[in-house]
Amino acid sequence: MTFVRLAEVARVHGEGATAVHALKGVSLEVGVGELVAVMGPSGSGKSTLLNLAGGLDRPTSGTVHVGEQDLATVRDLAALRRRTVGYVFQDLNLIPSLTAVENVMLPRELDGLRSNRARQEAMAVLAEVDGEDLADRFPEELSGGQRQRVAIARALVGERRLLLADEPTGALDTRTGDEILRLLRARCDAGAAVLLVTHEPRYAGWADRVVFLRDGMIADSTNVSLESAR
Amino acid sequence: MPVRHGLLALLSTGPRHGYQLRVEFEASTGVTWPLNIGQVYTTLSRLERDGLVEPGESDDQGRVVYTITTAGRQEVERWFGTPVVPSDRPRDELVIKLAMAVAAKKVNVTEVIHTQRTATMQALQQLTRAKRAAAEGTAQRLVLDSMIFKAEAEQRWLDHCEAVLMEER
Repeated sequence: MTFVRLAEVARVHGEGATAVHALKGVSLEVGVGELVAVMGPSGSGKSTLLNLAGGLDRPTSGTVHVGEQDLATVRDLAALRRRTVGYVFQDLNLIPSLTAVENVMLPRELDGLRSNRARQEAMAVLAEVDGEDLADRFPEELSGGQRQRVAIARALVGERRLLLADEPTGALDTRTGDEILRLLRARCDAGAAVLLVTHEPRYAGWADRVVFLRDGMIADSTNVSLESAR
Repeated sequence: MPVRHGLLALLSTGPRHGYQLRVEFEASTGVTWPLNIGQVYTTLSRLERDGLVEPGESDDQGRVVYTITTAGRQEVERWFGTPVVPSDRPRDELVIKLAMAVAAKKVNVTEVIHTQRTATMQALQQLTRAKRAAAEGTAQRLVLDSMIFKAEAEQRWLDHCEAVLMEER
C-alpha cells in the first residue's frame, strides 16, 4: 500500500534566466513499511524531494499525496506535518533550554495533549530508542549519537506514519550511524513509511529500494520487491 | 595463507580435533569462507610437517587431537604482529572494464556505471540484511562489515567516475 506518492513533481526556484530547476519531473512512491533511500551528489535535488514529500515546500508542478490527501488541497499543512510526518535532520534542532523528554513532548503538547499524557507518550518512545535514562538531560549534556536518538524519538512520538530523514547519520561514527539506521528500520518494519536521504552507500544499504538522483532526475534505482527485501 | 594461520590461531587457545577446528573457524568468520573437512586435514598435516602442531592420541571416536608447539605459538605471534601486504593484487575486472569503456569512446560509459552501481548497491543491501540477521558473534559481524566497507568503496569510486566524466564532457 502506497503511503506517499509524488507524481511528475518539479520544483523551480526563482524565475527567468536565473531560475534553478531543483527537480525536473520526479515520480516516486513509498509504501507502508517500506524504507526508500535517496542518493545523489550535492545539488541533485535530494533535500528538495524530501521537503516536498513532507509538505515543507510546495511543487511548481506535479502532485504530492500523503496517505489519501493531495497536499495541494490541505489547508492546515502544519497540523498534517505535526501529526503524520516525523523529521530527522542532520542538525537536529533540539531546543537547548528543554530536557530530552521535554523536547520529545513538544509536538504532542502543540497537538493539545495534556502535559501528563504527553510525558507518558514521550517516555514510551524514548524507551523504544533505548533513551529512557537520557530523559532529564539537556541537549548539551548528550553525545552526538544520544542527541540523534532523542531527535528520532521526537520524530516518532504520536504514531506518525511517515518518517523523513535527511542525512540523519551526519557526522556520527559508523557504529553509531548503524544504530540510527537500526532504529529507522525497526520503525519501518512496524509499519511506517521511511524516506531517507543519504550520501553514504553503507546506510543506503539498509533500504528496501535505493533511488539515485542526478540533476533533479532519477538516474537509476534498485528495484527490489518488498518480499525479497525482508 | 589465512586458513593455515587461522587454524593455528584457534589451536593457540587449546588442543582440538579437525572437525572442531572447522566449526570454530566458520563460527568466527561466518559462512563467508566455508571450509571443507578435507582442507582442514590437509592443512593440519602441513602444519605437522613444519613442526607447528603435534598430533596426539585418537579419542574414542578415532579423532586425532592436535596441539600447538612452541614454534607454532611463535608463528601465531608473528602473524598477528605483521601487517598484511597486498602484494599479489588480483586484476580488478571492473576497473579494467571502465578504463576500456572510457578509452573505446564509442561505449556509453554512463550506462556501464549505472548498471554496475545498481548491482553493487543490491549487493550492499544483501550484506546489510545478512548483518541484521547475524545477531550472534562479533567476529562474524565484523567480517560482514569488512565486505560492506569494500562494496561502499566501489560505490564511491563509481560516483566519482560519473562526476569526473560529466565534467569532461
